[in-house]
Amino acid sequence: MRKSNLNRRLFLIAPSVMIFTILFLIPISYFFVLSFWQVHAYRLQAGFTLDQYMKVFSDYLAPLGYTFMIAMTIALVTTTVAFTYAYFCRFKAGSLGTAFLFVALVTLFGGYLTKIYMWKIILGSNGVLNSAFEWLGIVTDPITVFLFSPFAVVITLTHYTLPFAILPIYGSLRGISDLPIEAARDIGATPQRVFFDIILPQARVGLISAFSVTFLFAAGDYVTPLLVGGPQTSMIGLFIQSQFGHRLNQPLGSAMSFTVIGMCVVTIVFMAMLIWRATRSAK
Amino acid sequence: MLARLNSPSLKMPLSPQSTNPESTGSRVMADDGSGDQTRGSKLRGLPESRPLVELRKLAKHYGSITAVHALDLEIGRGEFLAILGPSGCGKTTLLRMISGFANPSAGTIRIAGEDVTRRGPHNRPTNMVFQGYGLFPHMTVAQNVAYGLRIAKRPRTEIVRRVDEAMALVHLESFRDRSVTQLSGGQAQRVALARALIMRPEVLLLDEPLAALDLKLRKAMQEELRSIHARTGGTFVFVTHDQEEAMGLATRICVMESGRVIQDGPPEAIYSFPRSRFVSTFIGEANIFAGQRSKSMVSLEIGPCFEDHGPDEDVVCVVRPEKMIIADAVDDASSLGCDAHLAGTLEDAVFLGPYVKYVVRLGDEGRVLVDSRDIELRHRVAVGGAVIVGWYLGDQRVFSDQ
Repeated sequence: MRKSNLNRRLFLIAPSVMIFTILFLIPISYFFVLSFWQVHAYRLQAGFTLDQYMKVFSDYLAPLGYTFMIAMTIALVTTTVAFTYAYFCRFKAGSLGTAFLFVALVTLFGGYLTKIYMWKIILGSNGVLNSAFEWLGIVTDPITVFLFSPFAVVITLTHYTLPFAILPIYGSLRGISDLPIEAARDIGATPQRVFFDIILPQARVGLISAFSVTFLFAAGDYVTPLLVGGPQTSMIGLFIQSQFGHRLNQPLGSAMSFTVIGMCVVTIVFMAMLIWRATRSAK
Repeated sequence: MLARLNSPSLKMPLSPQSTNPESTGSRVMADDGSGDQTRGSKLRGLPESRPLVELRKLAKHYGSITAVHALDLEIGRGEFLAILGPSGCGKTTLLRMISGFANPSAGTIRIAGEDVTRRGPHNRPTNMVFQGYGLFPHMTVAQNVAYGLRIAKRPRTEIVRRVDEAMALVHLESFRDRSVTQLSGGQAQRVALARALIMRPEVLLLDEPLAALDLKLRKAMQEELRSIHARTGGTFVFVTHDQEEAMGLATRICVMESGRVIQDGPPEAIYSFPRSRFVSTFIGEANIFAGQRSKSMVSLEIGPCFEDHGPDEDVVCVVRPEKMIIADAVDDASSLGCDAHLAGTLEDAVFLGPYVKYVVRLGDEGRVLVDSRDIELRHRVAVGGAVIVGWYLGDQRVFSDQ
């Protein structure tokens, strides 16, 4: 009985395990091994060397740091906006909460590239924003710094990742029952205290997931900086892409990728701990 | 139980008024010395005669629906009041208005002399034990109980001491560091109770306090609540749809129906002298006979006639099962020794220890219930056998049949 149950469960999870192994585990292991190899005259040479990682830290520290800053900004802005929106949907919008949530999710129908081009149209020299400013007489010459700037990258990626951040936060807020909130009010908690002591601690998991998803996405993205970022926004994704593309240096590309992954893991673990501690109701 | 009553916890007043009349009206706890500023309420001393809670013309409308019709209610210090009624009678709305979770549409609420009508729940000297408990799932048992004092910024030593007291009061000392998600229903109920009592409310409000517990636990908790009420000397108000619960706990019952208090009094009075057909059937079991009153004489459809003053109209006559008398049909009617008697057949006899509940069919007119101490009758008369039932005139109550 026990055994057949176990077999059954194994059978049921087999497809997802297979997909995960074939599409994720094997390729990532391959690239991990590759990151310790070398390239000589455009040929891969097996071996074990930390040269690639040394090169990452000597030549690519600036884009790495820049990527970290941009991704951090995007993740913090997105998580904050997403929390505000999800909080509104759960606690303030009444029966319209689900409708508002649906509106946020509908934006997922607009594809990734569509949104990038949309922001190009809005922020460009002849874009919607500049036309509006000129029409209002605020400026005479179009503001060119909107597009092809870090600002454009942040706003575009924030817009794109927002629904992915709203969902986990809304999920955790939905899990908070009204009763403990009433109970807290009843024993003397002001609405502010209820927010910090009862709601926030129970929204932790959602906040951490939202931050992680957004940070990972922003740190790994290279299309947005390419299209709206301009020359100075050299995020690490662009360099990785070029190592695999025209430079044909897969070991260096792999080393850069694993450095980014490492940075993401460290950042997320650190931020998760920070969020966990910050949202703990005082003892 | 007795041992518990003699324990030191007896001496700790969880409720501010405790037992000394001098502190009446003040939320200051004598042994604190620091003055209980838990809610920042400034309470003046009150005349002894003034009721603790005064509801004046209190009403609640939801759109065109009236949940509570303008009602006046006074609750005295130390009372254990049950607001009893079927679901949808407005009892929960009434409780929520007292606690501050529902805004009254009209009327005022005064607690300990202060008008709290427009105050939020966090600014009232009331605390509530919610039906679903509403424990904070991310906190331990002790953190749940301490929360109210913590946000009131009481000194740490005082918090520790009062948490210990509250835990002892509800017998949860060994559960301090448990997560509240691991508790059984009865334990969760105790945590909710401790969390409310630790605030030393003027009035403790309980919303269907025992509804979620199984029968055995309910009996134990009922006893527990009575003992806590006695030990703290507090004022408890609870809402229930269960008449047995109301009878078992309360010193006073307000029966509500469709947004109105239709009868208010001690449990015995409500039971023995119900003022309407609704109250007599809602509280306890009742046999109901239809009839007419004409020229101060009531004639029931099943036969008996008796004198009863009142207007000429259709009436119902209500007799409690324990007021009914039953005898073998072989006895002649007079041996029953009572005034109203009816012939019937025995349908069922349920042995309930001190008495037997006999179910007697009266022709096509229906059935009556008789609680009789004549335990042997069920051996003398087989099911389907003939019996005579009756009652002493004066033991019935007559209401207009609406």
